[in-house]
Amino acid sequence: MAQATAGQRIASRNPLEIVIDRTWRFFCSVRVAMAEIALLAVLVLIGTLRGSSVPDSIAVLLPFTRPVVDAWYAWDVFHSLPFMGLLTVISVAIAICTINRVPGIWASIAHPTIATTHGFLRNAERSGEITSPLSPAALATQSRAAIAKSGYRALADERQREIHLYADRFRYARLGTFPFHLALILILVGGIVSARWGFREMEFMLAEGSQRAVGYGTDLSVRLNDFSETYTEQGIAADYHSDFTLLRDGEPLESAIISPNHPFTHGDMTFYQSGFGQAVVMQITDVAGNVRFEDALPLGQFRSADNPEAPAAVIDVPTAGVSMTVIAPDENPRSQPELDQLNLRSGQMYLLLRPLGPSSPIAEPLAITLNQGTPVPAGDLSITFLRETRFSALQIARNPGISIFYAASFLLVAGLAVTFYFPHRRIRGIVSPTPGGGSKLVLAPMARRDWSGQQAFDRLLNNLETSLGAPIARIDRVTEPPAGAAGRQHVATSP
Amino acid sequence: MDALVRFSFYCFTAASIAMVTSAICYIAYAVGRVQVRQARLQTSAGTAFVGHDTRFTPQSVAVARFGTMLAWFALAFQALSVLLRTIAAGRVPLANMYEFSSTFLVVLLVMYLVFERTYGVRQLGAIVLPLAAGMAAYIWLLPAAMREIDPLIPALQSITIMTIHVGLALLAYSTFAVAFAAAALFLVATHWRVAWLPSPDLLDDFGFRAVTIGFPALSLVLIVGSIWAHQAWGAYWSWDPKETAALFTWLIYAVYLHTRTLRGWRGNRGAWILVFGFAAAIFTYYGNYFFGGLHAYGGV
Repeated sequence: MAQATAGQRIASRNPLEIVIDRTWRFFCSVRVAMAEIALLAVLVLIGTLRGSSVPDSIAVLLPFTRPVVDAWYAWDVFHSLPFMGLLTVISVAIAICTINRVPGIWASIAHPTIATTHGFLRNAERSGEITSPLSPAALATQSRAAIAKSGYRALADERQREIHLYADRFRYARLGTFPFHLALILILVGGIVSARWGFREMEFMLAEGSQRAVGYGTDLSVRLNDFSETYTEQGIAADYHSDFTLLRDGEPLESAIISPNHPFTHGDMTFYQSGFGQAVVMQITDVAGNVRFEDALPLGQFRSADNPEAPAAVIDVPTAGVSMTVIAPDENPRSQPELDQLNLRSGQMYLLLRPLGPSSPIAEPLAITLNQGTPVPAGDLSITFLRETRFSALQIARNPGISIFYAASFLLVAGLAVTFYFPHRRIRGIVSPTPGGGSKLVLAPMARRDWSGQQAFDRLLNNLETSLGAPIARIDRVTEPPAGAAGRQHVATSP
Repeated sequence: MDALVRFSFYCFTAASIAMVTSAICYIAYAVGRVQVRQARLQTSAGTAFVGHDTRFTPQSVAVARFGTMLAWFALAFQALSVLLRTIAAGRVPLANMYEFSSTFLVVLLVMYLVFERTYGVRQLGAIVLPLAAGMAAYIWLLPAAMREIDPLIPALQSITIMTIHVGLALLAYSTFAVAFAAAALFLVATHWRVAWLPSPDLLDDFGFRAVTIGFPALSLVLIVGSIWAHQAWGAYWSWDPKETAALFTWLIYAVYLHTRTLRGWRGNRGAWILVFGFAAAIFTYYGNYFFGGLHAYGGV
């Protein structure tokens, strides 16, 4: 009958209402949430191992897995649709689940259920019992006052000649879950804001003395005035920094010196020192002697296709109508010497010149070995390898989501601290009249299989005993078994 | 300075010996006395063994007390070793795996001894101290050149934030090791019902309390690391393998906390998650050996 009524009720509901209800319950399900987090963990593990040598080791050990391992390396998990989709689902689940929990948590804080049952007290793993000659009302009043002295809120409700007690501590700590979960969503929001309205230039290479536009819709450019580095006795870079000037429309705005961990911020844009390397200064002149190009090319952006140990640079020079590829000498000629087909010496560069555009001064690609300081004709042009220099690698970023991230971090830490270090402790009890006109109070914690909760309850009983000046009988239904015994049904009482 | 570094190494040697001896004491205490009794049958043809019975009886608590004393010795020597190296280097030694693991030993021993004192449970030393001794063995196996002090590479030259970031990681890993010990002992205690092991509820609570320190610490590792990354690289998250390995570990402990508090997963299931979580923490700890990426300089 009841089932038929429920069935009728469901049948009478709007289909849209049913869909919304089911969707809501899906997102609120703890089991589904656990499955989502577990799936996210699996994807994170797959993505993490992709950045390691582990898949390759698996393929070496089990050659038949090679196609799977190749696909593994090829799949950019963290920017894939399934990963983004899962993050979205989890964010929605966190939001809905949190909203769903608000009424219940608030009710337990503001309007807790005071009444309990004798069955709860009888079956509690640990309880305390006080017998008093006082009336139930007097014992309840004294007990509430004593419990309140221990920092608990004590509430009472009279029912059928009995007085039910409810006491709790750190009730507002239950709200700690909300800032924590809000923080998780905000971190994702911060990431989205940064990705949508910010930018991050990872390899902004700049040779000493050269100037380059920042781009990204700004009218800024950067000129590297000086780059310097120091080395340890072992030849490892100990420190390096760049002295540069920021320009707007060619006019200097500000100068700064940056080094790793010491960036420079201008407005909402930050300039970071990320690395350095070797550069080569090239000059192109035409037949009239006009300089069409003179700038430093950072080597190492590319590697020669034939010899990975030879750093290279590529640049299109529209003002000269050519595209230049410059390859430097092999950095480690003793390693795999068979790859070093160019046999360049120090002070030499290999140049591959390609025509750029229909009015290019060269008709077909040219390959030339350049000696430092010696101009070499190429069609109507003259190419000179002027000198070697250094380049500084900068990173430039605009990260508008960072303030959201800072706020989220604070909320996350605060939420965790409140939740873990101020646990909500709850105690229930009943004061009953005894035949002689006295009363009896039985108290038990809501802390099933919770060792710390039971320790807190023991401390409360000790305080209560001191305040009331009456002995409390402690009942422990899950005491630690004595040596040689086993099982959980041992009941111990102590006066 | 060389003398300080040498003396620091001698202290580490003393700590290693104390750790190994302490581990032996704790194991002896946790396992108890093993008595194997054989039933003999006397016949006219001679004596035949017809069966045997293995019994475990509790070991004297004096053995465990001796283990605790040695653990305190190990802590004192290891702390002195790290202190001397700190003076010699002019910074907390966290720059390579030798320094990181040496400091980790101090934090691990402190965490264990604090928990031992708080809960009055010594049996967990049978798992934590062998872990510490294993870590000491790992340090011994590292190249001897790592014992020398090298200047910090430029990427790490942000000493305050590095100390906070790596120090919190050590705190997180140490508490996860303690939680793992509680979980492992829980599984042993419930499977074999060894009477003198702590009650399963206490072990369960022990593991949970350790995670309530480790999880916020790991959260802070990720947050402080992100702030440092923003300061050094211009992005607070780069999907770097070491970052994502830490995130993976964080997610496992998030699952543990949610299943325990919302689904009531105590006991075996919770213990297995803690074991798995610690495996993930070790994977993150040693990740520098097989990860590339932005944290590669923190490797060996």
